[in-house]
Amino acid sequence: MPSLIQSPRFLLSHCLSPLPPNARSGFCGRLFHRSSAAAAALSSDAQTISSNQSSSYAPLLAPPSSEILSMRESLLSRRRTAAEIAEEYLDRLRRTEPQIRSFLHVSETVMREAEEVDRLVETGAELGPLAGVLIGVKDNICTVDMPSTGGSRILEGYRPAFDATAVRRLKEAGAIVIGKTNLDEFGMGSTTEGSGFQVTANPWDVSRVPGGSSGGSAAAVSARQCAVSLGSDTGGSVRQPASFCGVVGLKPTYGRISRFGLMSYASSLDVIGCFGSSIIDAAIILNAVAGHDRFDATSSMHEVPDYASCLISIDQFDSKPLKGLRIGMITETMGDGVEMGVVSSIKAAALHLEELGAVLTEVSLPSFSLGLPAYYILASSEASSNLSRYDGVRYGKQVAADELISLYGDSRADGFGPEAKMRILMGTYALSAGYYEAYYKRAQQVRTLVRKSFKDALEKNDILISPAAPSPAFRIGEKVNDPLAMYAGDIMTVNVNLAGVPALVVPCGFVEGGIAGLPVGLQMIGTSFSEEKLLRVGHIFEQTLQNHRFVPPLLG
Amino acid sequence: MSVASALGCGAAFLRHLSSGSRSGSTLILLRAGRTKPRPYSSSLARCAAPEPPDVSRLADTARISLTPEEVEQFAPKIRQVIDWFGQLQAVDLESIEPSLRADTDASTSQREDAPETFGNREAIIAAVPSYDDPYIKVPKVLNKE
Repeated sequence: MPSLIQSPRFLLSHCLSPLPPNARSGFCGRLFHRSSAAAAALSSDAQTISSNQSSSYAPLLAPPSSEILSMRESLLSRRRTAAEIAEEYLDRLRRTEPQIRSFLHVSETVMREAEEVDRLVETGAELGPLAGVLIGVKDNICTVDMPSTGGSRILEGYRPAFDATAVRRLKEAGAIVIGKTNLDEFGMGSTTEGSGFQVTANPWDVSRVPGGSSGGSAAAVSARQCAVSLGSDTGGSVRQPASFCGVVGLKPTYGRISRFGLMSYASSLDVIGCFGSSIIDAAIILNAVAGHDRFDATSSMHEVPDYASCLISIDQFDSKPLKGLRIGMITETMGDGVEMGVVSSIKAAALHLEELGAVLTEVSLPSFSLGLPAYYILASSEASSNLSRYDGVRYGKQVAADELISLYGDSRADGFGPEAKMRILMGTYALSAGYYEAYYKRAQQVRTLVRKSFKDALEKNDILISPAAPSPAFRIGEKVNDPLAMYAGDIMTVNVNLAGVPALVVPCGFVEGGIAGLPVGLQMIGTSFSEEKLLRVGHIFEQTLQNHRFVPPLLG
Repeated sequence: MSVASALGCGAAFLRHLSSGSRSGSTLILLRAGRTKPRPYSSSLARCAAPEPPDVSRLADTARISLTPEEVEQFAPKIRQVIDWFGQLQAVDLESIEPSLRADTDASTSQREDAPETFGNREAIIAAVPSYDDPYIKVPKVLNKE
């Protein structure tokens, strides 16, 4: 682990002078020098950028700055204590939570843990790269001594005996878990309305959904109830809520982050992902959690680069920082069925990328629309198998019965919500004797086609772009009774899970709605293990985007 | 190539849903959108055409005691989704190898299959709803079949 973490001393040496908030981009610039390795990794055609060239960008609104780095700078310069910062987040959480309801559980030990960080600061001990950083954790990711329900009544009151590896690594880096965030039951849904406990609202307009299934994690970061958060993404559950809530969401390559301690939904697709209010924060979290884990045989041995150090600051850009980068816009994601406002936001984002020097072409993924039914066959089938573990015997809620089969049936009937039940039944059907070839196998064959179409498209392009969802956040209750309408909303994201490749969503614009507009996210897709490239492009995009500030009206 | 024709169907599906129509008519639209009937692949021809789902029986298999109201409520929705799954039958996938997973990294190796003692045994036992040291208690097991 330690070798994966940015050396605290390296950060310290660059953090001596306190800076006003509007100078933070410059502050980041001194932290993250562009390495030649990162430059080579970006694109064979990318030009070396001269670091002494002055920036041609002067956004009217300050680009997003890193919550993690500004906190670290505050601690190291002794301007603020971890306890003061934690108190500020908790205050905001208490103020906004009655409307947003993103948390299923708020930790009682936050202040104690923050004071512990302050004692470390006082003694001059080396601080972990996430010292004092408040992180929200999606409730399907296990946390020791804290409830972990997966959003399901069947696990009401369950406290795991262990931390998920991702959580353990964050804690080892100094992070403080502020609480557990709401989700659609076990990740099955696209609105967070499918939680067994509560409905989370979108901080941009509380009559709308935050997206899902990681809606609690996205809303919490959007409302600045925590600095960063963990989510999980089986078919878009990090990316679509990131788009709906106007935050950065990263779905890493399949196998990039250990899933030990993540409640399994569809094991051939599930990944843990992260949310932040800036690309830098997402990169720092990925640094902390990525890498092989002996407790997860599907976690990759692939080398973990320093994702944060490849991000260059705005004062080091020349006017064409993406010169030569080949970007393919996925044709199938820009046509009928996608809201006009979303299409124009993505087109504007594409134009912006072109202005930064990228070469834009359209690319067609012929198997794109087949991905949606294939995804739902695979996800339901695997869910029916994975959720068989919830039988009321070893953990979770048990319904008393006078014989065992009824105990199973009654405990499951009582504990699961309607969407989980329906998906289990659909999966049971698809896996029934004699139907395997008609459904599950055919869906796996479609996965082969999808993988191949992404491979081909990513040979001709460095990255692909698309919307993260066909619409902005819609109203609570709007699609509750129409499963196919709900499933259709996942068309932009499911293929990426089938292919296993990484994708990053970065806020790119607004469409009309709510009191201040509704955010739209740009999805950027790369080849397996190209997170570094996606984050670098995302960072340049985010730092140069003009006139947008993705802070919800709720925060004033 | 039948993939292309299925793509057309899918696009029609998305268009249909986003236009706010009731999705009850989706399948009709899908079939109408298909220009030529596709022969089922040989793999499908070998088994009987799938029968529509019997929700009560599925619930039994999945060990979920559904109420009659739930059966009534779920049945049309499940049937609708499974009909929609059926569009993959129209795609020619004859020579395509299935992918078990994304398989992004072939280098993954398996750890040695050796038992290890878990440190927090008490917490695991504390989570068991009905425990009588050293046993997990369940009611009697009846073989109904």
